Amino acid sequence: MDTIKRRMLKLRMSLLLELQDVPGQLVAALEPIASVGANIVTIIHERDAKTGSHVPVQITIEGDKKTLDLAIEKLTEKGVRIIEKDGVPLKEKINTILVGEISEDELKGIVNRINSLMGVKVADLSLKMSPTTSTIKITIEAEHESLNLLEEEIYNIGSKKGLLVITET
Amino acid sequence: MKICIIGFGAVGQGVARAIKSTRERLKRKHNLKIDIVAAADSRGAAIQEKGLDPQKLLEIKSEKGSIAYYPVYGHEGMDGLQVLDEVEYDCLVEVTPTNIITGEPGKSLITKAMEDGKDVVTSNKGHLSLFYKELMDLARESGVNFKFEASVGGAMPIINFAQETLPSCRIKSIIGILNGTTNFILSRMTAEGSSYEQTLKEAQELGIAETDPTQDVEGLDAACKSVILANAILGRECTLKDVEVTGITNITPEAIELAKEDGYLIKLIAEISDYILRVNPRLVKETSPYAVDGTLNMATLRTDLAGEITVIGKGAGSLETASAILTDIINIWRARQD
Repeated sequence: MDTIKRRMLKLRMSLLLELQDVPGQLVAALEPIASVGANIVTIIHERDAKTGSHVPVQITIEGDKKTLDLAIEKLTEKGVRIIEKDGVPLKEKINTILVGEISEDELKGIVNRINSLMGVKVADLSLKMSPTTSTIKITIEAEHESLNLLEEEIYNIGSKKGLLVITET
Repeated sequence: MKICIIGFGAVGQGVARAIKSTRERLKRKHNLKIDIVAAADSRGAAIQEKGLDPQKLLEIKSEKGSIAYYPVYGHEGMDGLQVLDEVEYDCLVEVTPTNIITGEPGKSLITKAMEDGKDVVTSNKGHLSLFYKELMDLARESGVNFKFEASVGGAMPIINFAQETLPSCRIKSIIGILNGTTNFILSRMTAEGSSYEQTLKEAQELGIAETDPTQDVEGLDAACKSVILANAILGRECTLKDVEVTGITNITPEAIELAKEDGYLIKLIAEISDYILRVNPRLVKETSPYAVDGTLNMATLRTDLAGEITVIGKGAGSLETASAILTDIINIWRARQD
């Protein structure tokens, strides 16, 4: 077994996790990693860098590609939030629906406004029009860090333009 | 236990009905006999020290439109406050209509009862969402029990659930569907592809929406309930004006369609946390606990120790709401025994 393991390519991956500041969360996050056979190289549990009720945890894990991919799958399955992978922020897909009277120009303005936010990009747009109003679905890709600002901005846009804003729960 | 039922609309009648049908069980299980020593509606009252007959109260109300016409013991024109001075009782069941401007007549009724040293059970959201702190302080100073499970979620357990069944947990947020009328309308719009106006009409014809549906469709009813939950469960001091409210009146069938394409439903969601106090239409995944249809209510409590817990139940209905009132009465009775 040992000889075979030594010949397989060992990769390292660093993940930034966001855990709830509650007893047992760290163990719960490490368990799926260990269970798939990945080695845990370092863990930096930064309780001082706490934001709200969440604590960032930086871990470096080691294994072959298949094992590392499996580790990520298991973490995601367990609902552990992965904010960055190897220093690259992972993006989340957010859907929002806007209802009201919007001209084509105003719509372009809204898309530009959203795109101007750091770490945020409009990925898709669907428009349905009725005789009285327009309904627009916007799909946005955003880094975890930018989510709060994005939500605030969307509600601002809605309130300024007199639109009904329906965001995800 | 002697109770006065002030307000004899759907909920008041439900309470009378519930008391009648649980007579045997209450005696057997809790050694409790509930006597309705007085009942009042907008036109008058009925008072009998030995206890009014719930069946007769319901019949008179149905046949003559007011319990003021109860034979022998009826008093036309007597109002709730007068009743509370006319009779010996233990607990006021205050179920008058919700008034979100002044909280009256409910506020004066429960204030008087508490000052007179009586326990209070209510389903009324008006005074609670406007004057929560004041009323709780008064109850404490007067040394009386003040319970209001029926004011949020009807039969769905939430306030007692969070306070008594989960004392180990800190509840960080509550996200839920707290209004059955709007949930019904949105569910129908989703099923039929119909417009809001059309579906509202349908709901009114079925008696699920009122003739003046404003409080429900503008989200004010859910907002009142949010205030009560924020105060009672999260310990957050706030009133109705602190809620960011948006109703369902501008939701289009196109919005529901677009949402469905990606596996979402549109629901009127109440979100309550230390930082958020909001009622507005939101997108929820069809596979989430929020995908509850019809007139049902639901609430997900996010706790520190127990993770997420979801309750679902019937948010409205005469007997359903009365069940919560009866629960509170029984709990007060049990507390008084200790």
